[in-house]
Amino acid sequence: MTSQTAATGQRAAARHRVVITGLGVVTSIGTGVDAFAEGLRAGRSGAKPISAFDTTGFAHSNACEITDFEPEAWLRELPADELGRAAQFAVAGARMAVADGGLTEADVRARRSLVSIGTTDGESRDLDHLTGLQVAQGEDTLDPVVARRVWPGRLSAGIVRELGLEDVETVTVPTACAAGNYAVGYGYDAISSGDVEMALCGGADALCRKTFTGFYRLGTIAPDVCRPFDADRQGILTGEGAGILLMESLESALARGARIYAEVLGYGLSCDASHPVAPDRDSIARCITAAHANAGITPADVDFISAHGTGTKANDVTEVGAIRQVFGEDLPRTVSIKSMIGHTMGAASALASAACALALREGFIPPTINHRTTDPECGVDCVPNEAVEADLKVVQNNGLAFGGNNAVLVLGHWEDRSAVA
Amino acid sequence: MSGHAEAGERRLVISGWAVTSPYGLGRRSFAEGLLARTTATAAVDTAAWPVPYEDAGLIPDFDIRSVLGRKGTRSMDRATGIAVVTVGELLEDFGQGLAADPEKTGLVLGTSGSVQSIMDFTKDALTGEKPYLVDPARFPNTVMNCPTGQSAIRHTLKGPNVTVSGGSATGLLALNYASRLLRGGHANALLAGAAEEFSVQRARLERVADHGGAEADPLGEGAALFLLESGEAAREGGRRVLATVLGSRFRAFPETGRAGAALSRCVAEVLSDAGVAAADVALVAPGTPPGLLGKQEEAALDAVAGERIPVRPLVGDATAASAAFQLAAVLAHAGARPALVDRLALVTALDRDGTVGATLLRLG
Repeated sequence: MTSQTAATGQRAAARHRVVITGLGVVTSIGTGVDAFAEGLRAGRSGAKPISAFDTTGFAHSNACEITDFEPEAWLRELPADELGRAAQFAVAGARMAVADGGLTEADVRARRSLVSIGTTDGESRDLDHLTGLQVAQGEDTLDPVVARRVWPGRLSAGIVRELGLEDVETVTVPTACAAGNYAVGYGYDAISSGDVEMALCGGADALCRKTFTGFYRLGTIAPDVCRPFDADRQGILTGEGAGILLMESLESALARGARIYAEVLGYGLSCDASHPVAPDRDSIARCITAAHANAGITPADVDFISAHGTGTKANDVTEVGAIRQVFGEDLPRTVSIKSMIGHTMGAASALASAACALALREGFIPPTINHRTTDPECGVDCVPNEAVEADLKVVQNNGLAFGGNNAVLVLGHWEDRSAVA
Repeated sequence: MSGHAEAGERRLVISGWAVTSPYGLGRRSFAEGLLARTTATAAVDTAAWPVPYEDAGLIPDFDIRSVLGRKGTRSMDRATGIAVVTVGELLEDFGQGLAADPEKTGLVLGTSGSVQSIMDFTKDALTGEKPYLVDPARFPNTVMNCPTGQSAIRHTLKGPNVTVSGGSATGLLALNYASRLLRGGHANALLAGAAEEFSVQRARLERVADHGGAEADPLGEGAALFLLESGEAAREGGRRVLATVLGSRFRAFPETGRAGAALSRCVAEVLSDAGVAAADVALVAPGTPPGLLGKQEEAALDAVAGERIPVRPLVGDATAASAAFQLAAVLAHAGARPALVDRLALVTALDRDGTVGATLLRLG
């Protein structure tokens, strides 16, 4: 048994294997696992003019907004106005993941579980609304119904309340734009250590004026679409949605004959501790290496990388530089689904995890769309514009965040026939 | 959630702590105030803080620049300043040797970020000459992991850097998160705890929240951080074991009237996992939320022995930092009373959004 003080990234002990058996996704290219998978394969784009808030005065204002989401279609227990838009996405995603995993609420309720949900902005869209009221009607004006739902804890608590879970640890993980991977990694540790049997993990965020304005001010909003790794890339498009993964121990999945999308092999975390918004190449490389060590793989095992891939000039170069530092010159194909669904903030790496799980199960690599000419400074095969079929064993999912918070997740293919063993 | 089988050396221990509270900066003022049961809340200067509260537990004369200097603090918000100061104190007093291994030392901080920063940023966008003429240096403040990331930047913590949130259970959730990261091999030592700021916008939002059908308590602010590592690592680092973490349990309650039953089960499970009895508990630091939730907590703790240490009635409702303050209060008592060595302490939390938690420690 390895000692507690093993090198960062190494596991303390052999534990339970962890698998993903259900997916719930709310995205601008499709809600529900089938629509999302179809959107990824088809290289669909969620980009459109923003309707979430008034964009008068901005020179350009596209985002990957979800325009067909109806909370009432998913909420059975909670009134929609008790939840902000991000929590509504999270709850809808959790309901989908449970159903997709072939479970009822009662099945989940019967097990000790964890709900961990990542986010960047929590209910900042509601805070925008309250601020707008204060500006228009006076400083002390408050909408009490909205005011009660703004706290980030409600993203995870909303899922727990809607599903009626009781033997559950409920935590929101607001670790910005890598939060989804943090939340999934936490689920992995909780299940693999035997602390819980099942986990609903992922991330959720809603479009908001605050975040659009901030990125616009930094000069990082693309005028039309997001083109990761392209020579002419101009930045991100903000996006919204939720990705929720139903995770359980392998024993649990096999015992109930569940369909397994993928195995969670491990993950790694690192902090740049240098700059609040500019990512650091060495630190990202260290995070990737920690993830590989935790998962017990080498770089040569990785069949493709789902990059953080924001599509800004600087970040794509830094991220690819970090990947090259670990992999050498022989890079696996490196894609960014943000080209399709935008930067969904705290949901981003959770949705990318869901995409990786689908890719492993169905044998394809999602494309990087809107691509014209690969930037030689990036120099990756980003699977331009069209998905490719591929026999995949191991996939790496990168998440980077403000604050220098990096999280890299490693997922593996699950062979159904090995279930007999 | 440590299992029985875990050997003593591999048990996780608290080997350092730091606190910034309405009693002032540092452990000493906190311990003195708390042990003397001095109320730290006071009348708010409503000219400086136009809030719908008469009293609050503010950190006295807290000024980021006078504590941290001018460098790198121009855009720093209060929540971040409080976290950075407290992390600094913990490292200064207990961090010897950790700096040699910055990649294996990290931070798990409980916070809801700064609603004031988020709303100020949007306000600037709505009232400025152009909708995008906001201060870009303040954009990172609007993301909830800002206090955590800035603490790492100021103090070079390159290991896992995680932000967690769960209302008044936040401090216990952060400690448990850090425990899992350590057991999963993601770091050698973690600073874990929680921070909360007092602000006008937080006060407005809290005013209309559900306080168990009761009047809202005065708001408090501050941070409490703990150094968490294996017993072996503490010994190697020359640090004294202040407490051993025997475990944490969490549950959810569907309605306020069932919070007590949920907490009772948490407490029973955390005791039974550790192989100890309710009669053996020497100290209890309850969350003491107002109204029905508080009554539910009292009932749930009926069967548990031990002296009750009040925290919230003295420092105010520190929301995200409240359970971390309770944990700090346990260590303050233990530090002042040698008879508590080897005795058990229990910290409980009930959050209005449905989470209850209990953490069990063996002192000294």
